[in-house]
Amino acid sequence: METILIQLFNGLINGAFYALLSLGLAVIFGMLHVVNFMHGALYMLGAFGAFLLGTTLGVSFWWALVVSPLAVAAVGYLVERTLLRRLYNLDVLYNLLLTFGLTLLVQDVMRLRFGIQGVPYPAPPQLQGAVVIGFMFFPAYRLFVLGFSVVICLGTWWLIERTRVGMIIRASTENPMLTRALGVDVDRWIPPVFAFGVALAGLAGVLAAPMRAVSPLMGADLIITTFAIVVIGGMGSILGSVVTGFVVGALSALVAVYYPAAANLLVFVIMAIVLLLRPAGLFGTAEGA
Amino acid sequence: MIRRGLGWAALAAVALALPWVIYPVLATDIVTWGLFAAAFDILLGYTGLLSFGQAAYFGGGAYTAALLAQRAGVPFPLNALGGALLAGLMAIPLMGLAIRRRGIYFAMITLAFAEMVFYVVNEWRSLTGGENGVQGIPRLAPGGLSLASPLVYYYAALPLGVLGLLLCWRIVRSPFGHVLLAIRENEVRTEMLGYPVRRYKLLAAVLSCTLSGFAGGLWVMNHGFVALDAVHWSTSGLVLTMVLLGGIGTRLGPLAGAALVLYLRDFLSTWTDAWGVVTGVIFIIVVLVFRRGIVGTLEPLLVRRPQAQAETRTQAALSPQGGGPVP
Amino acid sequence: MIRWTALLCAALLVLGVPASRPAAGQGAVRLMHGKMVIAVINDQSGVYADISGKNGVEAVKMAVEDFQKKYEAGGAGGMVDVLSADHQNKPDVGASKAAEFYDRDNADLVIDVPTSSVGIAIAHVAAQKRRLFFAVGAATTALSNEDCNKYTFHYGYDTYMLANGTAIAVVKQGGSQWYIVYPNYAFGQDMNAKFSAAVAHAGGKVLLSDPTPFPNPTEDFSTFLIKARSLRPRLQILGAMQAGQDLVNLVKQYNEYGLRQQGVNLAIGLLFLSDINSLTPAALQGTVFTTAWYWNMDKDARAWADRFYARTKVRPTFPDAADYDGAWQYLEAVRRAGTDDPDKVVAQLEGYRFNDFFARHGQIRKQDHVLLHDAYLAQVKAPADVKEPWDYVKIVSTIPAAQAFQPLSEVHCSMAP
Repeated sequence: METILIQLFNGLINGAFYALLSLGLAVIFGMLHVVNFMHGALYMLGAFGAFLLGTTLGVSFWWALVVSPLAVAAVGYLVERTLLRRLYNLDVLYNLLLTFGLTLLVQDVMRLRFGIQGVPYPAPPQLQGAVVIGFMFFPAYRLFVLGFSVVICLGTWWLIERTRVGMIIRASTENPMLTRALGVDVDRWIPPVFAFGVALAGLAGVLAAPMRAVSPLMGADLIITTFAIVVIGGMGSILGSVVTGFVVGALSALVAVYYPAAANLLVFVIMAIVLLLRPAGLFGTAEGA
Repeated sequence: MIRRGLGWAALAAVALALPWVIYPVLATDIVTWGLFAAAFDILLGYTGLLSFGQAAYFGGGAYTAALLAQRAGVPFPLNALGGALLAGLMAIPLMGLAIRRRGIYFAMITLAFAEMVFYVVNEWRSLTGGENGVQGIPRLAPGGLSLASPLVYYYAALPLGVLGLLLCWRIVRSPFGHVLLAIRENEVRTEMLGYPVRRYKLLAAVLSCTLSGFAGGLWVMNHGFVALDAVHWSTSGLVLTMVLLGGIGTRLGPLAGAALVLYLRDFLSTWTDAWGVVTGVIFIIVVLVFRRGIVGTLEPLLVRRPQAQAETRTQAALSPQGGGPVP
Repeated sequence: MIRWTALLCAALLVLGVPASRPAAGQGAVRLMHGKMVIAVINDQSGVYADISGKNGVEAVKMAVEDFQKKYEAGGAGGMVDVLSADHQNKPDVGASKAAEFYDRDNADLVIDVPTSSVGIAIAHVAAQKRRLFFAVGAATTALSNEDCNKYTFHYGYDTYMLANGTAIAVVKQGGSQWYIVYPNYAFGQDMNAKFSAAVAHAGGKVLLSDPTPFPNPTEDFSTFLIKARSLRPRLQILGAMQAGQDLVNLVKQYNEYGLRQQGVNLAIGLLFLSDINSLTPAALQGTVFTTAWYWNMDKDARAWADRFYARTKVRPTFPDAADYDGAWQYLEAVRRAGTDDPDKVVAQLEGYRFNDFFARHGQIRKQDHVLLHDAYLAQVKAPADVKEPWDYVKIVSTIPAAQAFQPLSEVHCSMAP
């Protein structure tokens, strides 16, 4: 029983990464109708950003946590302005292929520069070591990741549900035509929203750097799973992607305990069932399915 | 009419001469992947269904053909037909469920099923050899003929591949194919007109998957082995890439796309280790500049028939959407 | 520096000269196609690129140059071309490149090829084309068992060697209770089987073994590390069979969970120099593993590694060294045979005994074409003991050639009686 609780809790930490990444994807998909295949590569750039800031400028993890996502956001902004926006009135396929091409390019450039094995990145000194809570033992850094990402997810939710900017985003997501008709300049909000979604991926990358290998292929396998989570939660649903991210993380950990070989499969089984029974996803609205 | 005949004759000449220009194994790959891509385009280009799980049918066909040859001594091309049969049978329940959804949701369900197939292939090691795959498949030919030489195998596989391609073209140009086009353009209207849309979609999917399985069977005999990557999602991505680069909904697009992607992959493997950079840049350029793919861009320039122009207009990319919810 | 430049120039000269001579056949060696071709196929852009990759190609070129220099042009009977291809970790690309090299470029030898599935596929191609294949990078014992053939040689290491050396040594040192985690693909499954057998054979016990996800999108192993914690206090050894990025992640997280301090030591199935370099010795301190060779293990190895460093600016991994050595021994066999006729070269290689900078007490076993040679039990140094860049490892003991590899009684290769 104890083990199950520990594993469930631990799964939430993986879930935190899913949540941050799928949250960004969901925001982008909701507003732009772009399946951003680059999301995994931007996550990788976030991690490398932290590494480069640390090695070249001596920037600490804490500042990297702010600066690196901003840098990734700038990259995203540039990509959106120069490339993605040319394809908005076409099928989603074209932006998918474009971002896929960008992914190959970015990964390979990073490999040529840093090699495939990647670079080391230590946890911040304040968070090294482990914490014991009751019967549970956890690396301090992982607890921080969990707490921090919950704060970010709540913050995003507040931003979108409770502010005027968020209202415009929600309105443009749900009915762009009507929103335009009401005199809102929907297009003006597209670049910042894309940059924001991408920054979340960069942030996840910085958070991952101390626990995972910082290498050009990190995140390469992540995009498919993350997108599946977005679909399960309901495309464009903020709450859906966050909740599903955490739930899938926790469930995968449980499956991994008893039947490790199937841990990967879980998200796809859930997705197939959800799509067949509730096409719009768990938290999505019924339209469009 | 004469120009058209000349065009086909030139194409036939290219097909016959190909294995003397490039290595025959690569030439055969172009034929088999070309067929796979054309079969995939029945769904994508003519029915408007983006499947992201075609690896399951291509790979399923490949594994079946491989095991039939290795364990049961079934000669070529019967084993490839066996692969086609299995792929078609798999498609009936799986696609039957998937076609209840549209657009990106359809894509994701097909992906989910393909991932399940991947899992089964990886776990069922006694049959599939797991990640190492089925190795050393004998290339058995009926009547004691030898197919060992890659060149001979090319000429054995070519007519079968062409047959498959002709079948794909026949399907999309038949009255059945016209209903598929109508579904792509406006599903609700087609349904209103009294067509059983779902049944049409299912039949299109099953045909596409059967032909994909057949392509898988021809492909596996070309290499003599099949490994796990045949059922990986990247295989589904690769065939999608071929069709997009070649031109969605064009007759020769899938074949041209397959030729380009495979030739590039082969060429880059000895030329540079930075194939990711080159491939990535090509994708970006194609998407931005030659959106209709090679054939989609070239065809209107080469063929100045009024009919052809009308055709390309309907085929021009998938229907634009005004930013509303995804279909 | 000047010396090496001079050597290089000399080598290049030697390489260039035979082309202007009236071609082959001058020496004792007669070549079937006027020149020799060695083709290196490996992963130059994917997850295994740092294990051999471009450096493996460089090692083979170096072998050819050294050979030409040693015997003038007569040794090889003419030019030796080195071709290379990046198989991009796609088995069909690797196998058809190999076939093309054999058919179109008249390649005499294909060498390296990491990733088991690609290696096995090329072994079958080699058998069909009746040309030689030296498998260096692929670890699977299938190459010398169910998929063995007359033209395939397994040159350097295999999963049996890795498991046998490490498991027995660790159990002997008192680490008898194991938890094995292995990636859920052929290599991992093979390593799990081999390690489980070796641990049991040495008198230890595998408490549990778990496959870890493949592919592994989350790159997280915490589930298994927590499981390892719950197996304490009995558990002594966490046996990690991962490779590449998986291994880097696992080790990073093993340290995060502080398992070493909890008395759970790490044993790694397959560790390359490039892995230690990327993880840093601090993360791996004290880890025991088996290796086929180490660049600083003695004077001969060191001398070669210095020359390699002069060309590549990195220290060689053991597959780099094995690539060089395989190419060298192949050329020697051609010289002895007086021809590059594959059947005659095979006859020269079978049963051949030699000693060189890579293979000590080397012998190419006739029955399954495995290169038997001394293997080494190595341990990662503490960071304080690392006195020189790249010198991360000390050799603990030597596993004699006769014990390092699969005993003949267990071999089930069709060539074995």
